[in-house]
Amino acid sequence: MGTKAYLMVKMEMSYARDGHTDGMKELKAMPEIETVEPVSGDYDFVIAATVDAPVRVASVASEIRAKEWVKNLDVLKVEPAAPNPFLDEVCSTPGGECVRWCVQCGMCSASCPNVGKMDYSPRKIIALIRAGRRYDVLTSNSMWVCASCYLCTVRCPKDVKPTELMHALERLSFHHGLRHGATSTPAMYNAFVNSINNNGRVHELGLMSKFYLKTNPLAALKMIPIGLKLLSRGRMPLKPRKIRGINQLKTIIEKANVLGGAQ
Amino acid sequence: MRYYSYFPGCSLEATAVAYGLSTQAITGALDMELIELEDWNCCGSTPYGSTNELESLCIAARNLALAEKTGLDLVTPCSSCYTTLNRANSQLREYPDLKGKVDECLATAGLEYKGTVKIRHLFEVIFNDTGLKTIESKVMNPLTGLRVAPYYGCQLVRPEPSFDNQQNPQSLDRLIASLGAEPVPFPLKDRCCGGSLIIPELDLALGLIHQLLESAGSNGAQCIVTVCPLCQTNLDAYQGMVNSKFGTSYNLPILFFTQLLGVALGIELQGLGLDKGVISAEKVLAPSVTMAEPAT
Repeated sequence: MGTKAYLMVKMEMSYARDGHTDGMKELKAMPEIETVEPVSGDYDFVIAATVDAPVRVASVASEIRAKEWVKNLDVLKVEPAAPNPFLDEVCSTPGGECVRWCVQCGMCSASCPNVGKMDYSPRKIIALIRAGRRYDVLTSNSMWVCASCYLCTVRCPKDVKPTELMHALERLSFHHGLRHGATSTPAMYNAFVNSINNNGRVHELGLMSKFYLKTNPLAALKMIPIGLKLLSRGRMPLKPRKIRGINQLKTIIEKANVLGGAQ
Repeated sequence: MRYYSYFPGCSLEATAVAYGLSTQAITGALDMELIELEDWNCCGSTPYGSTNELESLCIAARNLALAEKTGLDLVTPCSSCYTTLNRANSQLREYPDLKGKVDECLATAGLEYKGTVKIRHLFEVIFNDTGLKTIESKVMNPLTGLRVAPYYGCQLVRPEPSFDNQQNPQSLDRLIASLGAEPVPFPLKDRCCGGSLIIPELDLALGLIHQLLESAGSNGAQCIVTVCPLCQTNLDAYQGMVNSKFGTSYNLPILFFTQLLGVALGIELQGLGLDKGVISAEKVLAPSVTMAEPAT
């Protein structure tokens, strides 16, 4: 949901003469601040800031007050920010809760081995979620080329867990039936899940055949030499291995389906 | 003798059959017994968790419920199973409402999971419980002169902090050294091989594999040792494809750490699945293997 606050700032006399431009720049650099308007009269600036919760208004205000060129600061108005249903949806999905904590440092993007292939880097994905750009995010390929290496997760200074976020976005994209045309990862995931639901274990040959038939049968030709090498070394069983408790597993999955809930 | 519940994972029945063989072959010598979890199912891996959260937790929880009955630590040689089962455990702790639903689903199948199972990676178990001192004392064929690149991959040390540094791990380096071999510097030792993206994003994964082979090869490695079935398959089976795509000529055998351990411990070679590799390890292991013959 978030909170929008309007703050009024008066500069110290000694700075007011020619410190206006620098002061404005400094204020604009704060991530919470959206706009800074110069005004004349009792105050020098009117600021609009968006924060996560009303209590954060106080910390933004004291951060501004602490600047040596600020004489005094008054709060004009505090109101609920414009609703962002997509941000709320992401935050209520397991793994997506932490996007509000992101400070946009870009460590995730710098750490990602596959960022070059992504429509939007992990940092941009978070910025887009917070801007409410639901369609852009859920139809991008970014989450589908995440290889779950967790380098971003261990390096994030704010514990945002971008890998978990990517998985949450994949589930949301599945749930809403949105797809990115240029990646076949969703088709592979579907084949993988089907293989488990039918046998209890993954049957690699079955999974690959189903995947290539669904996406690009010609590409399968390229894979034949590798398949034969694995086959001749006993690394590619032809038949799936069904677990004995497959009906038990199916009962569990059916019940989960009924209970639905968290995507 | 130490006892563990054992979760091999689907890969060990297929592409990583050598990992399963070599694991079972060395346990005796290391005074440990792995008791396979009866009728385990797939952990769900990343694809299931990226499709449906509740279902993915349920299928992981079936394994955890079965394992809880044994009262033993659940040990898996697969880094993906390790991360997935651990993730399920922590999700069930952190989301009580999800746990409630999972309990309900398990109950329909007559199962219950209290949340007490400890999931461990086979490498961590051997490194910590057996220990390098014991291993060193059991080495029959020191792998002297063999230059090995220690490949940790991603999911042994990430995301949860565990027994080694998360960005510059050292444990596998030390294990290799304890076998008499030489761990070479391998700057990309904890970087991604592409995992299961090798199927839908082939070019992307080939690029990552190429970088890994370059990093290991340029540091003089004669072979790469891994702790993960996906890493082994990607680097071994797709090495030829990398060579034709990038005009390189890598011929680096990719061994499981259990295979290297088996050779050094003097275990009968037939049982280690050394013939399963697409890139033959025969040449680089030849000096150690010849020495191993009288012992077998």
